[in-house]
Amino acid sequence: MSQFYLTALQLALCLGPMAMGIFISMKVFNIPDITTDGSYTLGAAITAILISNNLPLYIVLPISMLSGAIAGTCTGFIHTKLKIDALLSGILIMTALYSINLLVMGRSNIPLINTLSIFDVISFFENAQLNQLLIAVLIVSILIYFIIYLLKTDFGLAMRATGNNPIMTKALGINNDRIKIIGLALANALTAVSGFLVAQYQGFADINMGIGVVITGLGSVLIADTLKKWFDIKKINGQIILVVFGCFVFQFVLAFTLSIGIDPNMLKMVTAVFVLLIVALPKISQRLVKK
Amino acid sequence: MIRIENVSKVFNAGNVDEVSALKNVTLQIEAGSFVVIVGSNGSGKSTLLNLILGSFFSSSGKIFINENNITQLPGHERSKWISMVFQNPANGTAPDLSILENFRLAALRSSNKTMKIGIDNDFVELVREKIKKLDMGLEDKLNQPMGSLSGGQRQALTLLMGVMDKTDVLLMDEPTAALDPKSAQKIMELAKEINASLGITVVLITHSLKDALQYGDRLLMFKSGVIAKDINEAEKQKLTLNEMYEWFL
Repeated sequence: MSQFYLTALQLALCLGPMAMGIFISMKVFNIPDITTDGSYTLGAAITAILISNNLPLYIVLPISMLSGAIAGTCTGFIHTKLKIDALLSGILIMTALYSINLLVMGRSNIPLINTLSIFDVISFFENAQLNQLLIAVLIVSILIYFIIYLLKTDFGLAMRATGNNPIMTKALGINNDRIKIIGLALANALTAVSGFLVAQYQGFADINMGIGVVITGLGSVLIADTLKKWFDIKKINGQIILVVFGCFVFQFVLAFTLSIGIDPNMLKMVTAVFVLLIVALPKISQRLVKK
Repeated sequence: MIRIENVSKVFNAGNVDEVSALKNVTLQIEAGSFVVIVGSNGSGKSTLLNLILGSFFSSSGKIFINENNITQLPGHERSKWISMVFQNPANGTAPDLSILENFRLAALRSSNKTMKIGIDNDFVELVREKIKKLDMGLEDKLNQPMGSLSGGQRQALTLLMGVMDKTDVLLMDEPTAALDPKSAQKIMELAKEINASLGITVVLITHSLKDALQYGDRLLMFKSGVIAKDINEAEKQKLTLNEMYEWFL
């Protein structure tokens, strides 16, 4: 496997939690939450600043997740309590987070050189990259298990039903506003985990690293959605696993694009076109079938 | 028991399109009774049900359930006393969740939804037994998404879901409006059975005068936001369809 694809696999795993977060906001709650761009950088910024100050990783991770959760809570609060459109609520918090992230970082870029990262914790293989992969697989597997378990619990059922039919959930004693706020907090906590992982994988946190990252997550969720329909997967377990698989597909497409020599400056354009294709193809094929 | 004291509801108050949907309605519905409400479109009957359910708040007056003043209580907090069957079968169930998952949520209507997986073998058997009584062949499709079922099947399941947890009042807003005659009759018989066997107060809104005559022990007719007629069980038994038609003319 070429270096390109190994890196793509590693990056896909690191972005997996964010994709699961977007699945929760978009598919479970039906909320287009673009706080993601900000909470991803926030997770990375908090991670970089705390690791630079030699705090242990078992403290850095929860603080990073908490920061994402607070960002999601703010979006949820604005959306549900102030009755502001979800998209606008996300834009407001994402914009505010740019300043907050600069405030946290103190400058636009924090390198993580000669610091212990989560990817250095296990040295099972001689090849460092395989060790990094193993760590990423372990973390993502734990998160997949946790999310699947959560969505099967009574609380998780209430979450899923709220996005599915809020009229029913209200009649069944569910406080829709509160559960949406908790859901957005969870989604953005997961996004912050991706920031935590990517900052350590790349070896730096940058103020602009979150720009457009929501499209990556969205693309992964849409790939998962298409595959779900193709293979008629109804169970939540399969859907969550597909989201992470969607992340792999997305990153592999980008890696392939780079490997064939496309200008890296065009990567965002390729990303946008790819997502457009994922969204448009099923509709185009439906029309063709009708004709 | 439901007690409604001088309740009014004005929509778009102060605007040119102001509508006075309910005007000083006072009503007491005894526990365990089966009240049927009829009336033309816009007569205020659905507004009354929505005020009891907490979909919106009254402009004035008070609403009590079992002597608890619920006038300003949010809708989700009223669910410990009230179950609802909506006119649209799609409103009462979550289409992407399975039958079992819908029933699980219904069973927790008055309790906290915790971080525990509540669907175990005992629960599956409990739901299977309840659904089997419907005789719709759904007891073997418990893992099927609710959205794949017909309107009649979903409405029947919504009614069963309404009594999965203890409840005092069952509100039904034209529950058979979107159903074929066979499914509609099944829903009505089920409502009657729930009222008779569990003693749950049923408040039914219907446009079917035949159903209004056949079911329930009290009949209310709404007209222009007020209760125009209040017929008790004895009077209702003497009532004919023709007399009821005349009310609407």
